[in-house]
Amino acid sequence: MTARTIHFTLNGAPVTADIKPHHNLVELLQTHFGLTGARESCGQGLCGCCTVLVDGRAVSGCLFLAVRIDGTEVVTIEGLDAGGKLNPMQEAFVETGAFQCGYCTPGFILMANQLLDAHPDPDDDQIRHYLSGNLCRCAAYPQIIDAVKLAAKKRKTIAA
Amino acid sequence: MIPFELAEPKSLTEAIKLLAPDDAMVRPIAGGTALMLMMKAGVFHPTRLVSLGKIEKKYSGIAAGKDGLRIGAMTTLSALEQSLDMKKLAPVITRTLRTLSNVRVRNVATVGGALAHADPHMDLPPVLIALGASMSIAGPSGERELAVEDLFTGYYETVLQKNELIAEVRVPSQDGTRAAYMKVTTGSADDWPALGVAVALQSDGNAVKSARVVVSAATSKAMRLPGAEAALAGQRIDDKILARAGEAAANEADFIADVRGSVSYKRELLRVYIGRAVRAALESGAH
Repeated sequence: MTARTIHFTLNGAPVTADIKPHHNLVELLQTHFGLTGARESCGQGLCGCCTVLVDGRAVSGCLFLAVRIDGTEVVTIEGLDAGGKLNPMQEAFVETGAFQCGYCTPGFILMANQLLDAHPDPDDDQIRHYLSGNLCRCAAYPQIIDAVKLAAKKRKTIAA
Repeated sequence: MIPFELAEPKSLTEAIKLLAPDDAMVRPIAGGTALMLMMKAGVFHPTRLVSLGKIEKKYSGIAAGKDGLRIGAMTTLSALEQSLDMKKLAPVITRTLRTLSNVRVRNVATVGGALAHADPHMDLPPVLIALGASMSIAGPSGERELAVEDLFTGYYETVLQKNELIAEVRVPSQDGTRAAYMKVTTGSADDWPALGVAVALQSDGNAVKSARVVVSAATSKAMRLPGAEAALAGQRIDDKILARAGEAAANEADFIADVRGSVSYKRELLRVYIGRAVRAALESGAH
């Protein structure tokens, strides 16, 4: 089928890609840009491993047609440590040990960032609500919740 | 996925022209969360998809008026969840959306798609039916009105022609309505439900004047239960009345078995959950 050219912003930089209409966002990031942080795991929008931020909102990259990225701003886990410094959420995950194998971690971090954008000081219920669509098969959930709370504190300190 | 052509019309009218009245392999796609799953599973092989993502912005938004809310069909479920107008008019919708799939899906899935897809497990259709919502449907010869309760004909099936699109959903004013939606998930908490029950009551305290009761997930389509509604109307609610309504519902619903439960199990669930949903509605406070 006919390829088409799309233009968008990827982790702050304007980019262009020639894609097929049936490609999804994960395929686009992996094959055109070598970005493997968003990875397809369940393939059904349930596990959150393919989480990508499109115009600031988390989406399941595996269920998102790549053509729809045209004209948007896309942020992946690779874009969070701008200037070589980890994002507060990334730091918090490291400091609380909020992962074992790390496969689900990019999705959790992006989703948790959207949570803090909406609710800078979330309670346990809000954290669980936002992260209910992210699965960690190592079951690091208690540490992940700790990490989100720590990141909220870090963001407040930075803002102050 | 199997390759397909993709059209990206700039207007609803143009989208309708690109659809094919006699070809099931040409389909509209909105958020795409449901269709993508079907395409990835290999159960749907479109030759052409007509993306609605670039049609006029007026189809993505919520407008409050004297007679209720008008919701553009391309409004995302997240936007509906966060709408203060929606929460004021019918907080049952806001509550329902919080447990509908997950934040990522709600960020992308649309109100029109949640209706047109017609999967009986979906949460929004039974609630909209209970609240008496209607739709404006656009086709080649103009628009027509349809009540949401008249949309579904079966599992994945609706009365929509292949070249018709839901343009807008209207939720009427809900003065004094008390409503609740309950679902039973037999796998994980966020699995598709084995049963959904939506109830909307006009009541004075415990005395129910009229009731709209809708079952979903346990049946092949979301549908009202007139027997249960009649058992509740004009009654002061107590255990005996709820048992009678549950019995009527269990007898009139046309259950289907699936991996989430057998027919007899779902019948028992409905028998019990009618009462729970009515009590939840009464306790929810009037809209």
